[in-house]
Amino acid sequence: MNSDLRTFKNAAWLGWQMEANWTDPFLFATYSVVKPLAGTLILVFMYLVITHGETETAFFSYMYVGNALYMFVADVLFGVTWVIHDDREHYMTLKQVYIAPIRFSTYIFGRAAIKIAITSFGVLLTLIFGVLVLHVDINLGAVNWPLLVVALGLGLSTLAIMGLALGGVTFLTAKHGMGINEGIAGVFYVLSGVIFPITILPGWAQSISKFLPVTYWMEGVRRGLEPGVMAQLGPATGLQGFSDLQLMLILVLAAISFLFISLRIFKYADKIARRKGKIDWTSAY
Amino acid sequence: MSRPMQPAVKTESLTRVFNPKKKREGKSVTALDSVDLRIERGELFGLLGPNGAGKTTLLKILSTLLLPTSGKAYVAGFDVAKDFQEVRKRINMVSGGEISGYGLLTVRENLWMFTQFYGMKSAVALKQIDELLDLFGMADKKNEKVRTLSTGQRQKMNVIRGFVTDPDILFLDEPTLGLDVNASRVIRDYIVEWVKTRPEKTVLLTTHYMAEADQLCGRVAIIDDGRILACDTPENLKKLVKTSTMLKIDVTLLDDKSPLNTIPGVEKFTYTDDPASNLTSLKFVLQDESAVSDIVSEIVHSGAKILGLRKTEPTLEDVFIKMVGKGFE
Amino acid sequence: MTETWLLRNLRAVKGRAYPRVIGSSREPSWVIFDVLLPLLTVAAYAYIYKFMKAPEEFVGFVILGGAMTAFWLNILWSMASQLYWEKEIGNLSLYLMAPISRMSILAGMAVGGLFETTLRAVSTLVIGIAVFGIALSLSNPVMLIIVFIVTMVALYGMGMMFASLYLLFGREAYHMSSLMTEPIYLASGFYFPVKALGFWAAAGASIIPITLGLDALRQLFYPSTRSEYGFLPMGTELLVLSILCVLFILLSKLSLDYMEKLGKTSGRLTLRWQ
Repeated sequence: MNSDLRTFKNAAWLGWQMEANWTDPFLFATYSVVKPLAGTLILVFMYLVITHGETETAFFSYMYVGNALYMFVADVLFGVTWVIHDDREHYMTLKQVYIAPIRFSTYIFGRAAIKIAITSFGVLLTLIFGVLVLHVDINLGAVNWPLLVVALGLGLSTLAIMGLALGGVTFLTAKHGMGINEGIAGVFYVLSGVIFPITILPGWAQSISKFLPVTYWMEGVRRGLEPGVMAQLGPATGLQGFSDLQLMLILVLAAISFLFISLRIFKYADKIARRKGKIDWTSAY
Repeated sequence: MSRPMQPAVKTESLTRVFNPKKKREGKSVTALDSVDLRIERGELFGLLGPNGAGKTTLLKILSTLLLPTSGKAYVAGFDVAKDFQEVRKRINMVSGGEISGYGLLTVRENLWMFTQFYGMKSAVALKQIDELLDLFGMADKKNEKVRTLSTGQRQKMNVIRGFVTDPDILFLDEPTLGLDVNASRVIRDYIVEWVKTRPEKTVLLTTHYMAEADQLCGRVAIIDDGRILACDTPENLKKLVKTSTMLKIDVTLLDDKSPLNTIPGVEKFTYTDDPASNLTSLKFVLQDESAVSDIVSEIVHSGAKILGLRKTEPTLEDVFIKMVGKGFE
Repeated sequence: MTETWLLRNLRAVKGRAYPRVIGSSREPSWVIFDVLLPLLTVAAYAYIYKFMKAPEEFVGFVILGGAMTAFWLNILWSMASQLYWEKEIGNLSLYLMAPISRMSILAGMAVGGLFETTLRAVSTLVIGIAVFGIALSLSNPVMLIIVFIVTMVALYGMGMMFASLYLLFGREAYHMSSLMTEPIYLASGFYFPVKALGFWAAAGASIIPITLGLDALRQLFYPSTRSEYGFLPMGTELLVLSILCVLFILLSKLSLDYMEKLGKTSGRLTLRWQ
């Protein structure tokens, strides 16, 4: 247990160093602000072009909050797998970490944890900007805090667990392998009601959406953070039939299932990678 | 062709100082300090020095990767700072422990790619590559991906990369670093053969393997802390210490060696402890042979047993110890 | 052994392009990712326009923008910041020591990656059109080709200029490329008409060749939207792009030379693990 805690802590520290000490604090702060905001403003401008400046609508708030939350999905899934790719291909330190007497999965969780922490800053900043400048409908007095905290915690845990599986897959793929992780994050972006309700999708796509944990996570966090907006949208979100408790139960089930699946995938990928000598290969060109 | 009658390499008061980006990152480091060097065409010239002596910095300046802080450097008669394009046409460099190359390419492809940067026709390049691969015992590896090579094989590939473009001047920066005996021997033999059969070609070899410099080089410069301490043939350098007596004594593990340093007549001494074998090897440079009896008495007095004692011929390491006061740790 | 300067540099382009081309064929998994991935973002934005009941052209705008991201990402990740990774691997010093122009190395990278990039762009366009049932009308294919070529030359010239910065950068390289992804998508109007940013913002963003290039392409495919959504008349955009071509190629040469000299003076040119 002590060893796992130490590994987790050291991995998180390393993750922070890799993310933060590449430049001076001012530039890092600028980067941390500009990047999340720019991504969000793309959608904002897309919306403004069509609605000619009207942002005080339920749909705008729905879209804005979903896009902000999606940063967790993209950063954690991509970020964790980038760690393996980066360590293996660029810094060539993966093998040294791998052969150390630690649990490698704990190392990955540590790196994921710091990603989540850093992304939280970007998400918070984006939401604050949205509320203050674009009149996104988030009323702190109306927030359902228990639902928000539980949904957020469960969702982020599930993301970190999924990252573990993708990390295992990364062992086996060349530099293109990063595409798998982007692809999965992209699938969530389209199918999980991130920026538009799943009801806009064709029927077959909606069926897939209902199998994705991120769909329920988005719904749960939105209900916690902006209950008024969700009430206005009602059946348009496609998940009005699920109660808050049912949503949480689904998230718990997803977390447990993915824990089991991810560990199996990781173990299998690890075995194959060792057999094929891919722990320390390079595939750059 | 190089400019006629110009040496292959010439430096004049060459200095290189590295300044930290920020004050808190440390002090300035003078990697090269007024280095004056002249290497004639056709030489196999050695540059000996411990880690951090300035060897690689010098090579980086000569290969146009680094500018000097002050002073001048000329390669094939061309100024490395101003006429770097002319310099580049005439040189190549191989470093020890290189990891360059693309894992996905085969050995042959990797080597071919680099020849294209030197304007070699593909047919000519591939023929050269195949010949060199054969010479280095790598013919069976030519279609293997680079990422499947062992360290020694990779280094051989890198050495081939240096020779295949047939440069006028080849810089070899510790080319046998980390290689086993056989691989090192193959590389050394080829270097000697290459220079012997091409009298207009020049090799500047840096190393901290004394035997390598002794065996291969016509002249050797000893460098430490950015300064050239001596530059001559290995034989002449050894004569510098011949007036002194070299003594090697093997004893049982000796803890306190400090009294040995204070014995009159001892100019310098170094030691190596081998706790696993309960051995200490002591090496002395003596001004006066009469110090031998005092040394023996001191060892006996300390309780250690003398296992072997002999006078040795000076080596380049002895030269280095005399000049610098330490061996190559 | 050595040929004329031009021939030597052309060989260098060929040499550096080779690993890219061969790498693509030896690790073909990129085909799936470079075809499917961009479609996901395009699909998301297309659906959001559909949900907002935007005019049909907007879905076309998104698909065109999505196709052009292939080139922008190629500039950022496979050209500019690549020099940083070459440094880490140890290839950079070998390139810099060779008697060739640095632009040849970069051109080789660009040419080598062109197949992948073009396939990504074309597949996004074709599949996007098929899936979303978009109708594109092209009345002037010659102009389309001219606009595309001029945009690419200017863009890759800019990419070479960026690459010079990466000669000095340490890990900033990755983060700078990352920083320039979404902000450029925003500023250059990849997914919406850049005119929506306002004149001065759009004018400022026009320094990035892809801004005007994309706007011109949209005007060509949707001529009826020119007055409402086009930023500048196409002739003006083409003229500006032509100027940017010359400007960026000149600047990239100057910048590469300057940055290399700076790197050699400071000692950071071949310094790894910064």
